[in-house]
Amino acid sequence: MFKTVKSKILAITIFMLTFLMLAFSFHVYFSRMNTKQLMVQNYKFSITASPFVQGIKNRIISSIDNLKSLALVGSLYYKTDRSPDLTNKAIERIFENYPSTLGGGIWFKPYIVDKSKKYVCFYAFRDKNNKIIIDKNFESEKYDYPNQGWYKQIISEVTPERNIVWSKPYYENQGSYTTMVTAGTGIYVDGELVGIATVDWELDSVIKEVYKMKPLEMTFSMYKSGNVIKNSFTLFGNAKDDYVIATSNPYIDNEAVIGHSLKEIPWYTSADDLYATTYITYHKKKYIPFVNKLKNGMVLIICLPKSEMFNKVNNFYSLLILSMLGIALLIPALLYYSLNHYIINPIDKLTQIAHKIGKGEDIQIKIEEPEEFAQLASTFDNMTKDIKSITQERAKINSELSIAKSIQSSSLPNVFPPFPNRNEFEIYASMEAAKEVGGDFYDFFFIDKTKFMFLIADVSGKGVPAALFMMTVKTLINNVSQINVSPKQLIKLINNKICQTNKQGFFVTVLLGITDISTGETSIINCGHNLPLIKRQNGKYEYLQLESNIALGVFEDSEFEIYETVLGQGDIIYTYTDGVTEAINKDNEVYGEARLCDCLNNIDENKPSKIAQKVKTSIQEYTDSNSQSDDITMLIFKYNGASRNIKTFEQIASQENYKQFYDWLHTACKEWDVKEELSNKLDMCAEEIFANISFYAYPEKEGKIETVIEKTDNSIIFEFRDEGLEYNPLEKPDPNIDLPPEERPLGGLGIFMVKKMADSVLYKRENGQNILTLIFNI
Amino acid sequence: MEITLNRTDLHGLYVTAAGRLDLDNAVEYGTKIKDYIEDSDEPILNVALDFSEITFISSFGLKVILELYKLLKAQNGDLKIKNVSEQLMSPFKLVGFDKFLVFE
Repeated sequence: MFKTVKSKILAITIFMLTFLMLAFSFHVYFSRMNTKQLMVQNYKFSITASPFVQGIKNRIISSIDNLKSLALVGSLYYKTDRSPDLTNKAIERIFENYPSTLGGGIWFKPYIVDKSKKYVCFYAFRDKNNKIIIDKNFESEKYDYPNQGWYKQIISEVTPERNIVWSKPYYENQGSYTTMVTAGTGIYVDGELVGIATVDWELDSVIKEVYKMKPLEMTFSMYKSGNVIKNSFTLFGNAKDDYVIATSNPYIDNEAVIGHSLKEIPWYTSADDLYATTYITYHKKKYIPFVNKLKNGMVLIICLPKSEMFNKVNNFYSLLILSMLGIALLIPALLYYSLNHYIINPIDKLTQIAHKIGKGEDIQIKIEEPEEFAQLASTFDNMTKDIKSITQERAKINSELSIAKSIQSSSLPNVFPPFPNRNEFEIYASMEAAKEVGGDFYDFFFIDKTKFMFLIADVSGKGVPAALFMMTVKTLINNVSQINVSPKQLIKLINNKICQTNKQGFFVTVLLGITDISTGETSIINCGHNLPLIKRQNGKYEYLQLESNIALGVFEDSEFEIYETVLGQGDIIYTYTDGVTEAINKDNEVYGEARLCDCLNNIDENKPSKIAQKVKTSIQEYTDSNSQSDDITMLIFKYNGASRNIKTFEQIASQENYKQFYDWLHTACKEWDVKEELSNKLDMCAEEIFANISFYAYPEKEGKIETVIEKTDNSIIFEFRDEGLEYNPLEKPDPNIDLPPEERPLGGLGIFMVKKMADSVLYKRENGQNILTLIFNI
Repeated sequence: MEITLNRTDLHGLYVTAAGRLDLDNAVEYGTKIKDYIEDSDEPILNVALDFSEITFISSFGLKVILELYKLLKAQNGDLKIKNVSEQLMSPFKLVGFDKFLVFE
């Protein structure tokens, strides 16, 4: 699957990108979370710091201050001279200092200031013109302030420790007709609660602002652009008394829920502080509630829609992720393209071209870019050219080598028998060349009328140089041997000549024999060659233990030991090169000299060609299919004894073969220089006997006629043999040649003529053969 | 073997041949002459055998010559052998044919 460079690199890239993308995604996830949290903090700060929230908070603080001032005035009144005018003036002064206060006063417990007076209170308020008016109307039976709800609540709840009590908001329906909340505090004199001070806070303006808060407009200092969060809404209530003061929400009737329990408002949360990771879902939208708890137990909850809060952040991160994804896709695509274009395509191209070149097409490779491949292509191109020229050269060399090989082998005598008319000896030689041209050779020739030289040699080295050297040596030996000198001088001469022509340091091992075929006297010279085997007439083959001389071509003027012997009739000399004994079988064992000797002794043939054949077969069987590593060369010389000038003829006795028979006879006569008179006689006699045997010896089936003719110094002996009916021609009476012609019979002349012409005629019957011998004196 | 038969006159025949009169050729030689004599409308009485080109004669040749001789003698004819070399005479002599054959 990932076997190609392309797929491997792509896989690695994709793996790396995936890893990076994952890391990046985590990073983005957490950083977005952090950003959101930061943003929420920022929102929280912005909300807390907004004029709306600060305004409410300030009002509460100023109400409390105001209240404390009033309480101080109240306690001063009670403790001192109890001057109403001074007290009213002090209250007026306080109201001037707290412009947001709508109204407020000091209320003493009934009968505590004066045992006779039930109601003592001081109250001031701002009229529509913002004028501070002291209202004395509350000291009346009609109002009976100690029975008002706010008075009862405050007087019952204040303690010295918890000195400020906020009333439930209420609708004031006697003076200002507004929604009010009253804050009260106890007036303590010497630890005794003598009355309360109150401040009225008109909530209508706050409620109006709450209503307006859709949308809530806020500006983030963090983001320079004005950030307007739409669709936010608010809940303003009194948490202490569980009371809704105002809400703003498009989905509910805001005025209807005033005064209801806070819990009825869906986005109300009792969370201690604003913002939690939790959010509320309202009308399928998510909102984050920001809770502001106020000192007086009021609570202001502002809900911001989540989607709009984080709109920009989300957009930013979405864009970031999208662009990263784009990059992640783009990188492999680019990589894929680059890989293909710069690496894979050039490789494919090279591969295709290499394939075509392999098939023998002649193509030039051209790649210009990238540089590495351009170099590779040009190297490739050069290599192709080199290979082509090398291949051509090699083909040329091979064909030249095979020509050389055939020249080499045809330069050796290879027609057998080479001297068909010579019966003093038989010779056979063969060379089976190994694959390359080698350095083995053999040769034989007459160096004079009776001296016959045969030799076998092995030139050091192999190949063409060895072959050329071999040719030189062969020619040289042949030429030098024509000089009439003793073998000892001859070999010295040959060696010197070889040394002179040999500049390359070649040498040649030679086994050389010179036999006088008229006597059998033989000189054998071994120049560093394998020892020959000799078989005496009725003996066995054995290695001829010759003195080994130095190989030819090594040192000039070397002296050579000559082995002299006389060959008897039937003696055989077997010579060979090391290719025979060093033939290797599949176990790497050599054929060896002992095996060769055994092999020869197991051959019951005397004909050199047959002997050679059997040895070759034996070697082949030994080496089996192992390839031949060296030339296998052998030369076999058999001495038949001095010439007896014998000719033999053997054929089916029939008239058709007569012509062949007398051709044979004529050849012999011609060769022996037989005088015409005698040859005519031989001719006539031969014909008579041949005809006789042909016609009469085999009446029923075909049979052989064997004739042997031998020329001795003073006679010719002519012998006829047949295996036909016993017939002694000598027993036949001679015809009467004195009869008148008319009376003479036509037959019977032949045998008579033979008897007359031959100097003696002998007949014997032996082993079922008729043997007729004619002797003619020369 | 090439054998040429030429009429010298009405009753005369001149035979030339080249080669050996031996086992192979003698019968052919004799048969050709005999056939000619027998087929001739006019009786052939004088036959001359030219031996200048004959190189060898064996007993088979001699036998054929004796046969011819007998054939002609029976019709009072005559057989002459011409241009016999010394060499070829010996077989004739050997078997005593020189006593009745005429050599020219």
